[in-house]
Amino acid sequence: MSTLELREITKHYTTGVETVRAVDGVSLTVTGGEFVALYGPSGSGKTTLLLLAAGLTSPDKGSILFDGRDVGMLNERDGAIYRRRDVGFVFQSFHLMPHTSALDNATIKLTGGGYNLREARSKALPWLQRVGLGERTEQTPEQLSMGERQRVAIARALVNEPSLLLADEPTGNLDSKRSREILALMRDICHERHIPGLLVTHDPDATRFVDRVYTLRDGHLADGIDPELAASPP
Amino acid sequence: MNPRIAGVRLSMLVHLYRVRLRSHAVQELLAGSGIAVGVALVLGVLVANTSLTGSAGELIHDVVGSARLQLSARSSEGFDSSLLNTSRRLPGVRVGAAVLRENVAVVGPRGRAAVQLLGVTPAVTTLGGLGNRDFAGGGFAFAGGVVLPANVAEAIGARAGSRVSVLARGGARTIKVGAILSSSLFGALSSSPVVLTQLRVAQRLTGLPGKVSEILLEPLPGADERVEVELRRLAAGRLNVTPADDELRLLDQAAKPNDQSTSLFAAISVMVGFLLALNAMLLTVPERRRFVADLRMQGYDWRQIVVLLAFQALVLGIVASASGVGLGVLISHAFLHRIPAYLITAFPIGSQQILHVGTIALALGCGVLATMLASLSPVLDLRPSRASDAVFRDRSGGSEVLAPRTSTRLTLVSVGSLLALTVLVLLDPALTIVGGVALAATTLCAIPSLFAGVAAALRWLGERVRSSALIIVVSELRAVTTRTVALAGVAALAVYGSVAIGGARSDLTRGLDRNFAEYLSTAQVWVTTGGNDLTTNPFEPGGATGAIARAPGVRSVRVYQGGFLDVGPRRLWIIARSPLDGRLIPASQLLHGQLARATSRLRGRGWATVSEGFAHERHLRVGSSFTLPTPSGHARFDVAGITTNLGWSPGAVIMSAEDYSSYWMTAEPSALEVELEPGVSEQAGRRAVLAAIGDRSGLGVQSYRERRSQYASDSRQGLHALSEISELLLIAAALAVASALSAAIWQRRARLASLKIQGYDTGQLWRALLLESTIVLGVGCVVGAAFGVYGHALASRWLRLTTGFPAPFAVGAGEVLTTLCLLALIAIAVIAIPGLLAARAPARTSFQE
Repeated sequence: MSTLELREITKHYTTGVETVRAVDGVSLTVTGGEFVALYGPSGSGKTTLLLLAAGLTSPDKGSILFDGRDVGMLNERDGAIYRRRDVGFVFQSFHLMPHTSALDNATIKLTGGGYNLREARSKALPWLQRVGLGERTEQTPEQLSMGERQRVAIARALVNEPSLLLADEPTGNLDSKRSREILALMRDICHERHIPGLLVTHDPDATRFVDRVYTLRDGHLADGIDPELAASPP
Repeated sequence: MNPRIAGVRLSMLVHLYRVRLRSHAVQELLAGSGIAVGVALVLGVLVANTSLTGSAGELIHDVVGSARLQLSARSSEGFDSSLLNTSRRLPGVRVGAAVLRENVAVVGPRGRAAVQLLGVTPAVTTLGGLGNRDFAGGGFAFAGGVVLPANVAEAIGARAGSRVSVLARGGARTIKVGAILSSSLFGALSSSPVVLTQLRVAQRLTGLPGKVSEILLEPLPGADERVEVELRRLAAGRLNVTPADDELRLLDQAAKPNDQSTSLFAAISVMVGFLLALNAMLLTVPERRRFVADLRMQGYDWRQIVVLLAFQALVLGIVASASGVGLGVLISHAFLHRIPAYLITAFPIGSQQILHVGTIALALGCGVLATMLASLSPVLDLRPSRASDAVFRDRSGGSEVLAPRTSTRLTLVSVGSLLALTVLVLLDPALTIVGGVALAATTLCAIPSLFAGVAAALRWLGERVRSSALIIVVSELRAVTTRTVALAGVAALAVYGSVAIGGARSDLTRGLDRNFAEYLSTAQVWVTTGGNDLTTNPFEPGGATGAIARAPGVRSVRVYQGGFLDVGPRRLWIIARSPLDGRLIPASQLLHGQLARATSRLRGRGWATVSEGFAHERHLRVGSSFTLPTPSGHARFDVAGITTNLGWSPGAVIMSAEDYSSYWMTAEPSALEVELEPGVSEQAGRRAVLAAIGDRSGLGVQSYRERRSQYASDSRQGLHALSEISELLLIAAALAVASALSAAIWQRRARLASLKIQGYDTGQLWRALLLESTIVLGVGCVVGAAFGVYGHALASRWLRLTTGFPAPFAVGAGEVLTTLCLLALIAIAVIAIPGLLAARAPARTSFQE
């Protein structure tokens, strides 16, 4: 069972003369089968934390361990392999290839890892069926609803059978019904496959679908939802 | 003043455009650059196309002034100047002035230049041509010397007051430079190859005392016809009576193949320029569509949005096109400013660039129209059936996808057009230039289906081959978008033009080389006046013939005669060969008739070969008769054979030197053909001939190889403008495609960054981008090359059948490949850096949409 462990992570950015403390001494552990939400307003450092977990940026201080390996120290090539083999990533804006079938969109990770299209399709098809798109595999993103597009993106994130699921505002472009479906689906997958899942959101409703929730504010992490933030308009 | 247009105030339109400029400066700059490059290309080629005859036209009008008729000689020996007084006394003549023209060379401290010496009488000032010019501060005075145009003076290093040598008719005489014509005061004259002097000085320099070559006449109002009749009576069939600016008509005919070739390029450039501008604007379409959606949601109605879009496109179109016009003028000055040497031999063509208002308006119009048309696509979002915010839900990247049905229709149009134009050109070869333009348009129609085919092939490959780059490319090219077609279209058109024209140019060069090799092979050493390409300048041989004949190693010396003869609209090249010449007709150039029989007939009297164009015009066949207006009157010849035009577009006539001497009433050679004893090398023979003629610096001595190499170099120089236009078109297209592809790649950074999060590394993405660019360019290049080879075949056929040039068709696979590689390499090299930068986009970029 995989575990994601963030130990005393600090990440600062300098923009002009100002230094932004995106993440400041954050520690967090997500174990296999847990679906955890990081809740916070825009600019709170949520996305930075996600990038750190995906090995896309290195912390200034601290370490990010995934199954005991420090992913913050990986070079570009090893980082790419880590993301391809171990990480499933779901975006707010889907990032699907236009004019490309749902099935081929779901294969993109596998083909990057050396599969040819035929092999990749046979591996991706069960995942499209799992997210409820078994009948729409040949539809292109333009022919799918927003919710269906996000399902394709989730299938794409899962085809490599990742050991870690990361999601950046995955329901930001969806209505509330579709949002609930997508969040429930992601939670179920984490539970079924015993993998850690980390969800970044600014929607307090989304936190109802997770096992644990933390609030990230000004780079600092706190347990639960900050009631002050939840009460303020988004 | 702040008028309302469809309810939007002008100040508001300006304000919104300023907002756009602030927020999308780089995008607007890119679009503007694309439009400017397109317009520059169009203008550069149009200026090059019109300058040749335009500059000659200005020059001829500068010389003839208000004269409307001329009496001109049929040979360079001219006629007696006493006819000037007779013609002045004709009823209805207001003014008459005599001119002596002769092709000469002027030699200064820095070199020599081939020029036309123009000797004029003071009476020419009253015609208002040269008379408008204030020579030497108010008087018609050359201070007893010659007046050099600024460009010639600079080339030979002469100054006012210095002395130069004039090489004319085999002799050399020195003379003072009276003045130099500056460009600010003398326009076309200052950049012409015309050297002015007084008539008597010209007569002395050329050794033609008492002779003139033409008399310019200005009849009284309404008296033109009467004066013409009187002049014909005076000419007695031995002189030409023509309009005073007849030279321009002759030049038009001679320059027609050159003009038509550059016209084809001009048309292709217009299309390429239009596509470049369109491409540049298409880059801004996604953002403009979002802008339209925003405005609709803010309550703007469709009329207001159309006005807004049109205003923005108009401003961008005008500013970018105006910059393009400036760039085009620079391009035409820097690259396309060369005059074919073969035409200078026969016509006084200046190097002045002619920039007509119409040419500027056409180039500007093309740029603005392309900008306006390309900005129209966001207007489609205004359809009532389309939701205001539809574009925000559209994840296609804002690019318009060509429906498979449209691709099929375009393919059918392409095939249909190809068949139709093939039939038309086969029926009438003169339609080839129009056909060439239609073929270029057909090239564009073939692209979408080829893209679909390539995408299917890549997909098939991707299913079997493990290549991450290939899979990304398959995804990107799965749908054929207008932008991709436009990009490939630019490459296709540039390659089409280069392959078609380049191929025809190679055929022509090969044909001309072969022709001149045979034409010159009758002698191992040639003695001429030097620098005269077509051997048309006669000279006084003095004792040169005998001296050469006695030189060691010389077997024989034969007289070669020749010149130009104006017949109808043609300035024919007359070649008169000694019956003792081994080869009278270049064998490869004989189109109709038997070589041995035609040669044998030419060795007798009264036979001549004619070029096909002339034969066609006169309905001549082998054995039929025709007449030529010679200096001794009309001479009758029988057609011994029909040839190509022997490299001179108005056509050529080959006859025996005996006929020529008789009808032209001269024994003066325009060349001496020297045959050497067996075993004597050309160089040794040349040295012996030089020693024999002594200090005749007005004569040039060349070995066969030297003269052949001069012809080869001049024929290539004559085609130089075409080469330059072709190269410029390729480079401009490569850079424009590269910048448009780079911009398109740059717009995809967020998607590329998202692929990094999916586990792709920079190298994989970079390779995918380069592969995709190569395929887009490759499709364009392959379509362009295929249609280009077909266009080449049509163009060669046109050269042979319509213009009569020797142009044997052969596909130059090496040249086609070089063209393809040149375009692809430039484009890929330019794309490589922005491609790498885009591939290195930080993953964070994918979160910043």
